[in-house]
Amino acid sequence: MSTTNTTEVINPSVHHDLAELKPEISDLGLKRPDHSKNVLIDWLTTVDHKKIGLMYGAMALFFLLVGGLEALIIRTQLAVPENDLISAQRYNQLFTMHGTTMIFLAIMPLNAAFFNFMVPLQIGARDVAFPRINAFSLWAFVAGALVINFGWLLQALEMFGLFSASGATAGKNDFVPAMGWFGYAPITSTEFTGAGTDFWIMGLQILGVASLSASLNFIVTIINMRAPGMKMMRLPVFTWMTLIVSLLIIFAFPAITVALIQLMFDRVFGTNFFSVAGGGQPILWQHLFWIFGHPEVYILVLPAMGIVSEVLPTFSRKPLFGYAIVVFSGAVIGFLGFAVWSHHMFTTGLGKIATAAFSLLTMAIAVPTGVKIFNWVGTLWGGKIRFHAPMIFAIGFVWMFMLGGFSGIMHSSAPADAQQQDSYFVIAHFHYVAIGGILLAIISGIYYWLPKMIGKMWQGSLNIWVGILTVVGLNITFFPMHFLGLLGQPRRTHTYLSGFGWESYNMVCTIGSYILALGVLLLVVDIIRCFRSKQLAGDDPWDARTLEWATSSPPKVYNFAATPVINARDAYWAHKYGPENRKLGTVEESHGIHMPSQSWMPLIASAGFIPLGLGLSMMQAGVPYMGYVSILGLVIIALGISLWALEGPGGYHLHPKKETN
Amino acid sequence: MDIMKKFKVFCVWFTGLLSLLLISGCDLNTRMSTFTAKGPIAETQLDLFMLTVWVTGFIFLAVGGVYVYVVIRFRDKNDGDESIPSQGHGNPLVELGLIGISILLLVIIAVPTLQGIWYTHEIPDDESSLLGSWYTNGDLSEADANEPFIIRAIGYQWWWEFEYPQLGITTSNEMVMPAGRPIHIELRSVDVIHSFWLPKIAGKVDLIPGRANSMWIQAGDTIDAWANKVGFEGSENERQVAYEQYLEEEIYDYYYGQCAEYCGDSHARMLFRAHVVNDEDFYAWVNRMNEGHTEAPEGMTWEEWYTLYDETPEVLTGDIHEGLKLFMGRAKCATCHAVKGNPRAVGVAGPSLTYLAERHSIAAGWLNHRNEDNTVDSEAQLVNFIKWIKHTDEVKPGNLMWKAKGAGIGELDPLLNDEEIRKISLYLQSLQ
Repeated sequence: MSTTNTTEVINPSVHHDLAELKPEISDLGLKRPDHSKNVLIDWLTTVDHKKIGLMYGAMALFFLLVGGLEALIIRTQLAVPENDLISAQRYNQLFTMHGTTMIFLAIMPLNAAFFNFMVPLQIGARDVAFPRINAFSLWAFVAGALVINFGWLLQALEMFGLFSASGATAGKNDFVPAMGWFGYAPITSTEFTGAGTDFWIMGLQILGVASLSASLNFIVTIINMRAPGMKMMRLPVFTWMTLIVSLLIIFAFPAITVALIQLMFDRVFGTNFFSVAGGGQPILWQHLFWIFGHPEVYILVLPAMGIVSEVLPTFSRKPLFGYAIVVFSGAVIGFLGFAVWSHHMFTTGLGKIATAAFSLLTMAIAVPTGVKIFNWVGTLWGGKIRFHAPMIFAIGFVWMFMLGGFSGIMHSSAPADAQQQDSYFVIAHFHYVAIGGILLAIISGIYYWLPKMIGKMWQGSLNIWVGILTVVGLNITFFPMHFLGLLGQPRRTHTYLSGFGWESYNMVCTIGSYILALGVLLLVVDIIRCFRSKQLAGDDPWDARTLEWATSSPPKVYNFAATPVINARDAYWAHKYGPENRKLGTVEESHGIHMPSQSWMPLIASAGFIPLGLGLSMMQAGVPYMGYVSILGLVIIALGISLWALEGPGGYHLHPKKETN
Repeated sequence: MDIMKKFKVFCVWFTGLLSLLLISGCDLNTRMSTFTAKGPIAETQLDLFMLTVWVTGFIFLAVGGVYVYVVIRFRDKNDGDESIPSQGHGNPLVELGLIGISILLLVIIAVPTLQGIWYTHEIPDDESSLLGSWYTNGDLSEADANEPFIIRAIGYQWWWEFEYPQLGITTSNEMVMPAGRPIHIELRSVDVIHSFWLPKIAGKVDLIPGRANSMWIQAGDTIDAWANKVGFEGSENERQVAYEQYLEEEIYDYYYGQCAEYCGDSHARMLFRAHVVNDEDFYAWVNRMNEGHTEAPEGMTWEEWYTLYDETPEVLTGDIHEGLKLFMGRAKCATCHAVKGNPRAVGVAGPSLTYLAERHSIAAGWLNHRNEDNTVDSEAQLVNFIKWIKHTDEVKPGNLMWKAKGAGIGELDPLLNDEEIRKISLYLQSLQ
């Protein structure tokens, strides 16, 4: 077969007319919501990984702005000493929700958006392994986000004197979580915090269900649904990182799930896992939390490393330097990530040996991280670097992530960490990683992949301003915090006295945070402009290397008209520039493309989480009948899953036609 | 391509703002600065930190330098050369070499880190660590003499209690400690997790309910360590004088500490202080704290005062008498607070108020009245007492003194009026 033919088959210009298709009938005798003309029904019941990815992205961007707004209020409160813009309780709620929102509702789903959209395309699959579970993961995430944020509504009612807690948490009117995103026992007991903690427990638990089911889905997809010839060591690095992250989630989330169940039992049923008076151990929570919490850091950052490992080769027009070692060091980071949790606990009185062990292991994890940085620099070496928007952010990522890594090495020395722990130094460290690292990489990913996702091209040079404002803003906000921490300012304090030498630094940080916020705002503007852009992206606007660029932009619902056969790493680059035997092939299929049917059931099953979570939490605040509401939630979940099982897998076939000219 | 021009503009911006930032504050000798270490623990911690700064600084210059070079050198020059660069996949020798160098650099940090962990973890195991080896103010039991000097820091939402179990003293929020003596701090919490952080003297260790944590601290060096460090040569007498001078110049001071683990609403307002003094001043303080307030106001004995209070309270007039009557009576202060010496003020739920007026701050370090010369500004002190009693809930939101299940002053009916608050405050000012 000739090259031109191959490309046409993978990426046909004529395809089956979806509008002609009629709804399918499920095993229950009901009409499936397939091929609906109603856009809302179509999106609510979709099982298409691309639509699900876009919805994850939109939701996550919204929560990124919410979390950012919370951060701005925090920084405004701290601009001057003894400020009383907001109360102590409100401040504590804001920093708790800022952390929770950014980690669980912004960065994780932003990563999930890319996993969803890109992984099946990168491995040459039609969809993920379990399309309906994929939809379930999305809607469970939405349910968890709603539950965790619902307290704001009650708090608003409380402010106007319309609501106050009774029952188990009588007199505790914090309805938005106020115990920190880490929720250290025993401050999470009903003795010290109100229903906000319950919303947090239930919300996180639901988000955990979403993450776990999504991760199982990606593991199965990546292992089983690779196109012929897509060997593991030919996988794009981003897909590799998705696989590693999914495994991390599978192993890390059970720890927090167990801890949250114990905590919920303590609060709702009066058990004694963490209560000292009942013989419980508060320190147990910290171990369980950080056995989850430290891998979680890598759950957040490995996808960012994956994105950068795609962008740097593309815009240097060179393969990734040391592909195998980059993949391997990603796995090593994931593995060691489970062995360093107690470095979050150096000040809890661990004992010499444990402190020494965790100190050394933490240093050890710097090695694979450093390897990645060396390899990124090696990728640029000898290349032809084109400074398009994705590349600008990827270059910024390497720079800023490196700075975050250095302060990480400073923490690894336990005695030095005793001065840094719980001070602003730590805030500086992980924001260099989270913003300078993860967020810049995600912005890079947005600039890189959005043209593929929506088929439209970026316009103008707003991206330069996004880059300048975010990088400058982030440095002005967080660089002084290194000094603030070393000059003794503790974290999580809603205000501070003058005379400690902290005033000017805090003012500078606050100014910086507004610059950073402006940058993120311009990013949103730029994204909206891209959606409204008239310029088509074309299949391969960046002259890229991996398989997702071989198909149309946006990809058709079935991704590839024929299953591609892969003969090289950087499959599409080899197809374009490589020797004949490295080009893409196709699998001849006569029966058409098998497409999954859409379904209401994932939406219904995950909707049950809302009454379950809200009911249990509001029961704690003494709202009547809420116990029944939570049971109703369980019934809805059970019903949704049962009908899901009974409606049958369904599916239909599409027959893309080859262009005839 | 105008991208390079924009990059240059960006660099100018960036360096400009960064230098502005560095000018904005470079005083590293502030109240809670970890850069001005005043004891062996903080010094060990600072030395290790600086070591990590040098090592990472070196990596930063090396990798960062190469990075900048690569980004500039290998940019697409847009010179019409459309050729594809060599598709090199990597170089195992370079990669292994870099891994080797990384490990080597980490070993440079790791070895002193291990030494530091061992050193900071336990009080030195020698004669001079024992209380009996230096404490000359009265008799100690043999058990106490053969132990290190113990201060027990107890965390409450949101204040600190400091007990000296070997000396029988309890105080709150402002501890007093002798310079150059190793101290074993027992860390206990009665409610949630707190963290003891006295940055100039030692990094933090947490106070965790149900767990017996401890740390050791020392303000300034012991005489031997100091003499070794400066290489002092001279007679024993000269050595003593020079050491005393070192303590005088560098160590005796008023140190600022703060709770470093989030502990609820008023976490930001849970500060504490440490007065580091010489042995004589320390002994004097210990003796006064042990005796307590032996006399009632105006030189009366407590027996006389309570006889009048019980039988004819109306004859006890004047601000201080009336303040004490409120303290013991309507305001219910003594339900929770102890004043050593006063036989009926033995509450244990709140901070001890023994010699309260000699402290330089109240409300766990939030309201301050210290003059530059280390004396108490009594005008500011009165204002602070009044502010605290009147607005407890605002100064420290959520605290028990305001709402304590029937015992709080926020639950009094009617609330204390301004005149009553002033009288209580004047009485508190007499606690010196």
